[in-house]
Amino acid sequence: MRQLAAREKEVTLLDLLDRILNKGVILWGDVTLSVADVDLVYLGLKVLLTSVETAERMRGAGSCYTQPERNTVTDRAFAPLERAVED
Amino acid sequence: MPAVYLYAIADRPKAPLPSSRGLQGASLSSLACGDLAAVFSPLTATDVQATESALWLHEEVVEALMAERAVLPVRFGSVFSNEAAVRAELMARYTALVAALDRVRGRVELGLRVLWDDDQEAIRKKWEITDHAQCSSRAPRALSPGDGRSYLMTRLEEERRAQARRQRAEALAAEIHTPLTRLAVASARQVLITPRLLLTGAYLLEHDRVAAFRREVEMLSAAHSVLRFLCTGPWPPYSFADV
Repeated sequence: MRQLAAREKEVTLLDLLDRILNKGVILWGDVTLSVADVDLVYLGLKVLLTSVETAERMRGAGSCYTQPERNTVTDRAFAPLERAVED
Repeated sequence: MPAVYLYAIADRPKAPLPSSRGLQGASLSSLACGDLAAVFSPLTATDVQATESALWLHEEVVEALMAERAVLPVRFGSVFSNEAAVRAELMARYTALVAALDRVRGRVELGLRVLWDDDQEAIRKKWEITDHAQCSSRAPRALSPGDGRSYLMTRLEEERRAQARRQRAEALAAEIHTPLTRLAVASARQVLITPRLLLTGAYLLEHDRVAAFRREVEMLSAAHSVLRFLCTGPWPPYSFADV
């Protein structure tokens, strides 16, 4: 599997965080991660998450483009960044 | 029995599990409940740290499952004191979980963010035209301390601008979101979560529509050159797994 550039991973991480921490089935067990812990994740990633707008600074010029379908985590790329990396 | 960390609810309880490891290096297991399976791994320590690598590990388990079966990704951090507690939860919500799995089977989620910039020349010009049209009859008024009327006028003007901005955002978001919904079986959108995040969209797509969706995003991006498009996925159906 190809290694992605760090900033590219960060943009995708942003989208992962939105989903994995805020969405998905909630089957809260009787021992669960506390909300405070989740806040700490965001704090730990504050460089990335100062706001979602940070994503804009991480991206290169251009826009989404057509690419072969991909399914794996490491291959999942924010397309313009990927193009910038490949150029 | 040890505490368990839950990754996903899947169909086909007898299907083989991915060989990848779960949190704390533990092997994956599953427990069956009718047509459902809960995929988990045992925890030695229950204080699951939400680190970046742990988040990706959770995601990788869900994606490996999704390659073979319909899955409902479980929110990160769901820990149960034992397997029996998981089974009880599955039984309590069995019908809703089976229905949710039916909704997402064979489908993936794509994410889209569209950013705009108020300073972009094209957008600003449009606003100036509007401003001039609406302000021309209003005489400029000097602001002096304690001038309640000036204060009020300023506030009204700010409010009017904010409203115009909101309307413009809604219109632009609809221009982008509507054609994408035609390719999706379900969708969700939010407008202006932050001042510069015009649109945040999630789209549930049949597997074979992903390429067409990306092409549509590319066309929309070309048609809106002042906006920035960020498209990610395919994801497990996080945004469509509400039970």
